Formats: sequence, structure tokens, C-alpha cells
Amino acid sequence: MRGWWRFGKWTALIMFLHIIAVLIFTKGFLLTRTELPHSSHCSDLSQSPCHSSSCWTKPAVDRLIIIVLDALRFDFVAPSSFFEQKQPWMDRLKVLQRMALENPSSAKIFKAIADPPTTSLQRLKGLTTGALPTFIDVGNSFGAPAIVEDNFIKQLIQNGKRVVMMGDDTWTQLFPNHFNESYPYPSFNVKDLDTVDNGCIEHLLPSLHQQDWDVLIAHFLGVDHAGHIYGVDSTPMIEKLEQYNVVLEKVIEELQNQSGPGKLHENSLLVVMGDHGQTLNGDHGGGSPEEVETSIFAMSFKDLPSLPSEFVSSSCEPSKNMCISSIPQLDFAVTVSSLLGVPFPFGSIGRVNPELYALAVGTWNLDDNRTWNNQDETKLEEWLQNYVNVICTNSWQVKRYIDVYSASSVIGFSSEDLFHISDLYAKAEENRSNSSFYKNESSNTSLPVLKRQIGAYFEFLSYVAELARSKWTEFNLKMMGTGIGIMLLSLYCHILAIRKLNKSYGGSLLLSRDSGISFGLLLASFTVLMRASSLLSNSYILKEGKVANFLLATTGIVTLRFSFMKNKMLLEAATFLLLAFIFRIAIEVGLNKQAATSQFMSASSSWMLGISISESLWTYMAEIVPILALIILGYFLYKAISSYRWGIAKCVIMGTIFSYLLIALHWISESNVLDLAHFLKGFGKNYIPRTIYSIGLGQLLLLAFVPLFSKEETSNYKGSLFVKMISILSACSSTVIILQGKQGPLVALGSLLAGYCMMRLQGIEQHTLRGAEVISILDPLPILQWSLLAVCLFFATGHWCAFDGLRYGAAFIGFDDFVLVPQAILLTIDTFGFSHILSVLGLPLFVAFSSMPNQTEHRSLFSIKLFWIFMVYGLITATTVTATIVCVAIQRRHLMVWGLFAPKFVFDVVGLILTDVLIFVASIYYF
Amino acid sequence: MKEELEKSSQSTTSSFQVFFIHVCCGVALAVGFWVARNVYSINLISDPTTTLRLIWAFEFPVVILLFSCCRQKPEKCSYLKTIARGLLGLPIGALLNALGAFALGAPVGLQYLEKTVSWSLLMSSFTFVPTACVYGSCWTDWHRIFACTKPKGPLDFMLCLPAHGAVIGAWFGAWPMPLDWERPWQDWPICVSYGAMAGYVVGMVGSIGLALTHTGGKQLKAE
Repeated sequence: MRGWWRFGKWTALIMFLHIIAVLIFTKGFLLTRTELPHSSHCSDLSQSPCHSSSCWTKPAVDRLIIIVLDALRFDFVAPSSFFEQKQPWMDRLKVLQRMALENPSSAKIFKAIADPPTTSLQRLKGLTTGALPTFIDVGNSFGAPAIVEDNFIKQLIQNGKRVVMMGDDTWTQLFPNHFNESYPYPSFNVKDLDTVDNGCIEHLLPSLHQQDWDVLIAHFLGVDHAGHIYGVDSTPMIEKLEQYNVVLEKVIEELQNQSGPGKLHENSLLVVMGDHGQTLNGDHGGGSPEEVETSIFAMSFKDLPSLPSEFVSSSCEPSKNMCISSIPQLDFAVTVSSLLGVPFPFGSIGRVNPELYALAVGTWNLDDNRTWNNQDETKLEEWLQNYVNVICTNSWQVKRYIDVYSASSVIGFSSEDLFHISDLYAKAEENRSNSSFYKNESSNTSLPVLKRQIGAYFEFLSYVAELARSKWTEFNLKMMGTGIGIMLLSLYCHILAIRKLNKSYGGSLLLSRDSGISFGLLLASFTVLMRASSLLSNSYILKEGKVANFLLATTGIVTLRFSFMKNKMLLEAATFLLLAFIFRIAIEVGLNKQAATSQFMSASSSWMLGISISESLWTYMAEIVPILALIILGYFLYKAISSYRWGIAKCVIMGTIFSYLLIALHWISESNVLDLAHFLKGFGKNYIPRTIYSIGLGQLLLLAFVPLFSKEETSNYKGSLFVKMISILSACSSTVIILQGKQGPLVALGSLLAGYCMMRLQGIEQHTLRGAEVISILDPLPILQWSLLAVCLFFATGHWCAFDGLRYGAAFIGFDDFVLVPQAILLTIDTFGFSHILSVLGLPLFVAFSSMPNQTEHRSLFSIKLFWIFMVYGLITATTVTATIVCVAIQRRHLMVWGLFAPKFVFDVVGLILTDVLIFVASIYYF
Repeated sequence: MKEELEKSSQSTTSSFQVFFIHVCCGVALAVGFWVARNVYSINLISDPTTTLRLIWAFEFPVVILLFSCCRQKPEKCSYLKTIARGLLGLPIGALLNALGAFALGAPVGLQYLEKTVSWSLLMSSFTFVPTACVYGSCWTDWHRIFACTKPKGPLDFMLCLPAHGAVIGAWFGAWPMPLDWERPWQDWPICVSYGAMAGYVVGMVGSIGLALTHTGGKQLKAE
């Protein structure tokens, strides 16, 4: 054990550093918010201290038309005089500007500020729930995007409103069964500018004449797609905007025609809005002003007065007599809910925006320029009283959400913040009770009181929104920086440890010369760096398997060249390349599977050569080949062990061979090819896998504890290392193979063969023509290849770095019901089985077969080389993961940060810690 | 010209020869591009197969004719025979290049077959054909140039550097392929061909430079 400590302490230290670094970085990076399952109900209001007439608020509009123009920049809508320079894409939606100018009290343009991430899906989620979507909305199922949180659409349905949707099919994904009628069009094809829009136009105008809906949602995608393909400053973009102008003109004309008393749209509100903006190149997703600034145009078809100036936060354009105020998108859900008179979404933290609210709720009639006479003042007061009631309900709902959230969420708000929130709320409430007291006395004093009280509510609401924003949308850069710093420190420790090992290796061989920098070392460092820097781009992360395979094949070609140079082991090098090619095909199959579910990839099955062999033969092959491969594996194991005499190992191997037989039996019973399946079915389905798991566990326990009791000294260190390796690999393999399914034995055979080739080829660069006696060189190239192969195996076995890439089916082999712990363990074994567990445990391959002299005095040499290999492998993994972490930190405002970078980060980090732990355990086991 | 070239190649290849051959190869490449653009008004992006074939049609004859002049042991091997072995080397080299590309991830589909064939023919004329013409099937020479990378003399440099340049260039050329820029030139084998040609040209420039310094050094020694 003391011998182990000499180098083993490094593995422990590095593992410790990695865990600390990952924890700190994750805390700063992964924003989490718990999704609450609660929803608001009409009856809830009885708990609130506020006055209410009907359900939460008095309905102010009967019908609502929401037209969403995807990626609508603010300057598409606002008049060009608001900007320094007039650009070709400005002033194209003239009808909106004209309406806002002509009827300033009933039509208004707002600048809407979205919260990042500014992608359509996240924005729609934010718009309808009034919350801030984050990476881990805990409680959401990772696969399906359907919104489970309480939201505006759900409230509409609950309260008997009928909703019609047309356009972007993201809505039907988010709200699968909510719409009375829906006309979804695929949003997938970015190059198609017109399908969605034409579909919308086709249904929009006729729908305006119909009575069978209360809320209409039309989502146009053309501007978004035109931006993605051509950019903002392009003819297609301007054509799109002009087309929208025509459509909106028609819609407004139609609504105006029917806005008379008793007509269909007597009390309707039209909202034209963007879900987010876009940059001049048409990108969006991040948090730059261009991306978050979009616009809301709202228009009611009644003649209404305007608000007193205290509530108007606008920037005005005096020359044109037009003001534009700014409104956070967060406020949309709650404002619209209050206008329609439905309960506010439970998790909303927005406030009812006074200006937007005033557009539809005009209860008094006065002009800004006129001095207020007594009557107007009463009306204003009435309006304000009404608004106070609304905002009171609003504040109560937000307070309730914050209370419930901090009670039920793991990572809530700090107690300090909560105290401040309660304090502000209490103040506002106190104000209100005072004001209702005043109200009875004189109406003259109540106006300023009401205003003050609204102010108090505003203070509370804006504080909550700000707090939530900092909690849910802002990264903690300090923590992220610290995490990265510790990771870099751990890399330094790694290199230090490897240098130490190098030195003592040279020392124990009594070599004076330093091995220096070999070509293999250069190539290995170059490859690792290439791979590390490739992680900066989302495209390379998506195709990581192919990149790893490309690098693996490159090293394979270099080794082939070496073997040409030395004129030996050509067959091995060629086989290795062939295997790389086979893995590449498997990776492409995996990529295709990924493309089917990923929102970032388009399926390209171009390379597939439609297999037209007769179906039955094909299925027959698919059943037989894996079983054949299993038999071959078992045979190899048997052969490998037969020449050694070591009690436990033989026991373990026999157990594994028995497990293989069981696996074969299990597969036969599952297949339909043979009829004997029937009588095995009931019995085999769960018991066979469970037997295999328990055999595996038993083997591991045996291997772990028996050496403690029987200390036998072997002079044949190489042999005993080999036996140890074979037995632990075989103990793990049966479980991994059954979880991987029928590809398992094939992949295992392939990696066995690849490992054999690598082992044979190791150090070939240094071989002299006479013989392979050079042992002084520690060659990192085969370890790099092994690590690249591990990455390839991860992807070739049909995994990818996303949560929908987990093979959930594997968790239920041998189990019918979901129990968290066993299922999580099985899923981990399936996900990391080949790529991490077996790879790390198989590393001693390069020592057990190395051409080192097999004498007792060289025992320390073996252990040094073993540690060295573990360390180099760990360093390669750690370097890649550090690169991932740095890239994730750099790309934290990237469009795909939650879709792609964050899952990659999670997978990599889990893999890294698993690798560290395995290296730690393996170094104890093998020592 | 041909006789002059042959005469001198018996002893050593002069730097002028190296310069001349490389410039001819480079010009052939450029002419191929020019003809594709101005005569057929196609380019690698709009029609990769035809363009690659066109460039190859200009490059390959120049390569095979010029390098055959530098053949070793011209007394044993006639000019026509050299050309014949160059022609034989073409498909073998193309096959090797294609296999390498497949191992590295080139698409294997019937619809890519034409493109891959054209690309590998061009690669073969960059890498394999010159050496096949000069050294034929002499294993030790091949081994020296391609496995050990120990070229000696301007002739070896002339074979070794452009070939390695083309392969390494093609390797780097493959890197932009997975990016999601959705540019038409990211398709196989367009950017790989660009990379290969760029690497080839760089290799030729390097070879000329080395040949110049090399012979310069020799002349100094002789003096």
C-alpha cells in the first residue's frame, strides 16, 4: 500500500481537484429553476386581500387577435425617425405606424424587451407562462417540449375560452391538446420563406369573420427565415415585410369594419408582436440588444383616452407627435390575462402593464392637453381604483408564487432576499388599507394616495422581477472563472505527475538520456489540441463522433506509415484502419438516429445504400450474428485464461461465460425467429437479466475481496496483471453487453481487436529494424488512440451528448417498473459502459503485453508504467473536458447553449469524474 | 527540350529542371481552372465532378509527360514504357487515396461515387503518378520517399514535398466540412480539393526553394 501511495496520491489529488472545479463551475453556470405543477384558479382569489368583481379581473376585451411575427426587430416597426440613420428595412410596416400616429389613444407601438435565450421555443414559453425559462426547468421531461407549467393558454382553456392557432407548429408542440382549431405548418425548413406565411394568410382573414373563437393566434415565420438565409439587409426580407404590411392592412380594415356596436369585433384587441429580435445577420438566441429588442403593437377598436403621464415611460419623438414606451416581455402573459379576465398564470412574475392595459380598459374620457375638470378626475380615480385592484391581485399572485417556490424548490432564493420581498409587499399592502380608508372621506386626497400605492406595488413587482432575472438568467462569472482556474491547476498537477513518473521510469532503468520529444508525443499533443479546440464550435460538437473518428483514422494512417517504415506489422495497422472505418459507419448510423430527434440537425441519410436483401434473411442475420459474436468472445476468454492457473480468475471467467450463455438465451427468447421462444418468455424476460447483474456483482465482489485474504506473491508480474485485467473486464462485460443490446458483442469484439492492434503497434516508431527491445520510451500515441477509440465507441453504440440520447430502454432490461436507484445505475452503465468503464479498466493492456523484461527486479517498472498510462489517459480526458468547460463559458450566450453546449458539458463532466474514480479504483486494484 | 531534360536527369536533376517542371504543373493547374471558368463557365462549387475532371485532364498529361523525363535509369526504360507505368500508377494511387479518404470519413454512397473518383484521380496525379513515373516499382525508393521521408537530392524533394503537401492540405481542407455554415463549398469533395491543391502548390514552392538552396550549396562545395 505504501508503494501505491507514492503515485496513487496523485490520482486522488486530481480526482479531488476535478470534483471541486466541476462543482464550483456548475453552480455558476447551470441556472436552475424548479417548475411548479400548480395552477391558478378563479376561486383562489378569496385568499387574496384584494377586491374582485368576477374572476380575478373584470374582462375588458372579448376577443383577442395575436399576430406573432417571428424575429421582428424593433426597427422594423418603429418609425425610422427614432434611429440615427434610415435603413432600407425600416418603415416597411407602414400601417402600424399610421395607426399609432392617427389614434394615439387606441393604438400604440411598444418596444418589447425579451429575456435571453432568444429562441422561438423559449420565448413562446416565456410569453405564455410569464416566467423566465432556464436550462434546467426541473420537472420538465427532457424530451417533450410540451409546457407543463401553468400558462396563459391553459388558463384560457380552463376558463372556457376558445383558441384558434395558425402558423408555426412550435405552438402545437408546446400546447399539444389546447387549441380548438389549429393549422400548424412545419417550421423546420429554414429555406422555405413562404409555406408558413401563406398558410397563415389563407386562414387568418376568413377566421376574422367567424364567431367560434375568443383568442386567435397567428404565427408568421417568414421574417425569421429570411433573416437566417439572407440577413436583414436583403430584398427577400423587404419583400416579406411589405407582404406583412399588406396583410396587416387587410386585417385592420376588416376589424375596423366590424367594430361597430353589436358587431363581431366590437370589443376586440389586436396585438402584433415579435417573439424576439435578430442581428443584422439574422442570428438570434443571445442577449445582445438587437436580439432582445422586439416590438409589440396593440390596437383596440374603441376610441379611448390616454393615461396620465406618471405611468408613461416612453421616449417621445416630438416632431412626429409619437411616443414609444418600453415593456418587458415578462409582462405580456399577465397583462393579456387581466384583459381577458382569466386568472394569471401561477408562475408569472410580470406585472400588468398600465399602458397596455389602458389601451383596452378606458373608463374615463379625457385629453392630455385639457385641464382636468372635476368629472374627469372622478373618472380617472375610478380607473385608478380599478387598476389598483388589478395590480393588487397581480402582486398577491407574484408573492404567492415566490412563497410557494421557495418552499418547494431545492435551490430557492436566499432568506435575505425573501425577507426584503416580504417587507416590500407588506408596505404596499399597508398603503392599500390606508388608501381604502381615505377613499371614504374625500375623493380629492385619494388621487395622490392611489398613485403612491400603485408606486409601492410597482416597487415590489420590479424588485421581484429583477431578483428573478439575476437568479435565473445571469451566470455567475466569478464562480465559473474559479472553476476553470481549478481545472487548469489540475491539468498542471497532471503534467507534474507525469513528469515525475517519466523521471523515475528513466531512473529505474538507469538511463541517462532523456527520452526527449518524440514524434508520437508531438502528434498526440497536436491531436488532443485539435480535438479540444474543435469543441468551440457547435457543429463539431454535433458531429463529435465523426471528428474523433477522423482523428483516430489519422493516427491510424500515421501508424500505418510507421509500420511501412519498419516493414512490419502491416496487417495490424491495416486492420486498425479497417476497424476505424467500421466504427465510422456505426457512428454515422448513430448520427442519423440523432438527427431524427435533434432540432439542430437535418437528417441526411445520403450515404445509406438502401438494403434490398430479402427481409427474412436480414432479420435472421441480425439475430444470429450477435450470438455468434458472443460465442467468439466467450471462446477468446476461455483461451486467454486456460494457460494460467489462478483460482479466482478461472472462477470469474467461467461465470462470465455462463452469463454470455444466459444473454444468448435471453435474446433468443426475445426474438421471433425461433418458436421455442414462447415457453421461455414468461420466465426469461426479467430473471435472466437480473441473474446476469447479480453474477456480475458477485464477480466484482470476489475480485475485490479475495486478494485481501490470500496474498500470493507471483514472480510473473506480467502474467498476473493480465489475468487481473481479463477477469475484471469479463466481470464487467456481461452486464454492459446485455444493456447495450445486440450491438454489444459486436462492439466488444471490435474494440478487442482494435485494442490488440494498438497494443501490437505501440512504440513502433521506436522499433529498430533488428528487434523490439526498446523499452525506454513511454509512447503516448497508443493511449491517445485508446482514448479516441473510447470516444468513438460512445457514439458508435448509439449515444450522443444530449438527454434524448440516453437509451432509456436499457434501464428497463430486467425491470418492469421505474425505481430510481437501480434504473439510474443501469442507465449510467449503459451510457458509459464501453466508453469509460471498460476503456479505463482495459488500459493495462499496454503494460501486460509490452515487450518489457519480465523479471522481479523490474516490478517497480511495471507499476510506474501502469501509473503513467493511467495518468496520460486521465490527462487526455481532462484536457478535453477543460476545453469543453472553457468553450461552454465562452459560448454562454450562444443560440444553442442550452440545447447543445450545456448537455455536452453535463455528459463530459460526468464522464470525467467517472474516469477519475475508475482510474483511482483501478490503480488500487491493479497495483 | 525533352532530350535536354533526359540527359541531365541521368546524373542529377538541376534546380532549373525542378523549377521548370513545377512551374509547368502549376500552370496546368491554373489553366485547368481558367478553362473551367471561362470556357465551360463552371467551377468546383457548381459542378465539382466536371471541374475536377477538367483540371485533372490538364494536370495529368503534364505531370506524366514531364516526370517521365526524369525517370531513373533511362537506358533501361524507354519513355513510352515510363508513361505506361505512370498510367498504371494512376488507378492504384487513386484507389489508395480513395481508401484513405473513406477511412477518414468521406461519404460512401453511390451518388458520391463520381465525385470521389474524380477527386482521387486528381489526388493520384498529385501524389502517386510522379513517383510511379520516376521510380516505377522500386520498393526501396518508394520506402525512402514516403515511409521514411528521407528524400535525398532535388528529384526526391520534387516528388516528396508536393505529394505530402497535397495530402496534408486535403486533411486540413476537410475541417470546415462539418461546420453549419450551409455553404455549398462545404460539400465533399470541394473544400478537400481546394485544400489539396493549396497544399500541392505550397509543396511545389517548398520543393523549388529547397532545390535552389540545395544546388546552390553543391555549387559552392564544388568551387
